[in-house]
Amino acid sequence: MTRSTQAFIFVAVALVGLAAGLYFRSTAQEEGPAVTPPALLDTALESLEGGRKPLGAWKGKVLVVNFWATWCGPCRKEIPEFIRMQQNLGGQGLQFVGIAIDDKDKVQAYVREFGINYPILVGELDAVEMSRSLGNELGGLPFTIVIDRSGKVVHSILGATTEAKLNPIVQGLF
Amino acid sequence: MNLILPAMLAALALPLNASGADADLLSPDKAFRLSAQLAKAGEIVVRYDVAPGYYLYRDKLKFSVEPASVALGNVRLPPGRIKEDEFFGRVETYRDEVLIRIPVKVPAGAERFVLTVRSQGCADAGICYTPQQQQVVLGPGLGQRPLDAPKTGAGSLLDALGEDTPPKR
Repeated sequence: MTRSTQAFIFVAVALVGLAAGLYFRSTAQEEGPAVTPPALLDTALESLEGGRKPLGAWKGKVLVVNFWATWCGPCRKEIPEFIRMQQNLGGQGLQFVGIAIDDKDKVQAYVREFGINYPILVGELDAVEMSRSLGNELGGLPFTIVIDRSGKVVHSILGATTEAKLNPIVQGLF
Repeated sequence: MNLILPAMLAALALPLNASGADADLLSPDKAFRLSAQLAKAGEIVVRYDVAPGYYLYRDKLKFSVEPASVALGNVRLPPGRIKEDEFFGRVETYRDEVLIRIPVKVPAGAERFVLTVRSQGCADAGICYTPQQQQVVLGPGLGQRPLDAPKTGAGSLLDALGEDTPPKR
């Protein structure tokens, strides 16, 4: 093997490694490590209907929990897709729950205006903390997690997502 | 073999520099760097250095001070850049650098006070940050100089008003 051949092989290997590294780096925001904080299902947040409710109230369903706010543009973009998925897949055991980090009255008005068909909890620092404990260290919105029927977090997404991305994830959990 | 390592390094360095910044989101305190100083008697100058690709909402900025004996005047927010938002229509945003002048009345004898700034901002990459609260200790007792990096988090800076921390002179 000549020197130039060796050099070519080394560079080729380096580039493949680099490409792999960049791929995983660029998708890291969409598919963060799934962590399940012990108190996740027990932490109660204020419900739009009144009273406080923990995520555990929906245990046994395939849960998609979406942290959002009315003032967050990227959050508004994905919500119509969630409404559609809830309508189409609710019968199979899919349950969306929104956690709004926002003022309750603004959330209430938004829910009415856009016809959100899944329950919404409202929080402040408590909700931010919950999202951080799930790996959202930047405190970014929207942030979405998928929880399987046993209560384990299996997927997390930072930034707006789509029905096309979420559908295969939840289908595997029914 | 002595050509191989430089070739590999060159191959690695170029794409990393070109794409690394896009792949990583900044933490909010790095995306929206806040500093403040008591520029002259009766005026606080707040400065935000906003990282490229990030923006703050002008109408979400809120300022408050403690203790209550210190009084803020009307905040004069400079005009922002108009953003045609898909959902909110025309909104005013701050990018790059912004200076905000706030009149303040500090009672005689007050050495220090805490300025709290609440802000909301987003990244062009498609995420927004939960509302940020940053605090800066200011006061005649601290001299007229740029202060250290602001601390974030509730409560911690109120301790700085206590007697156990001597004022810097």
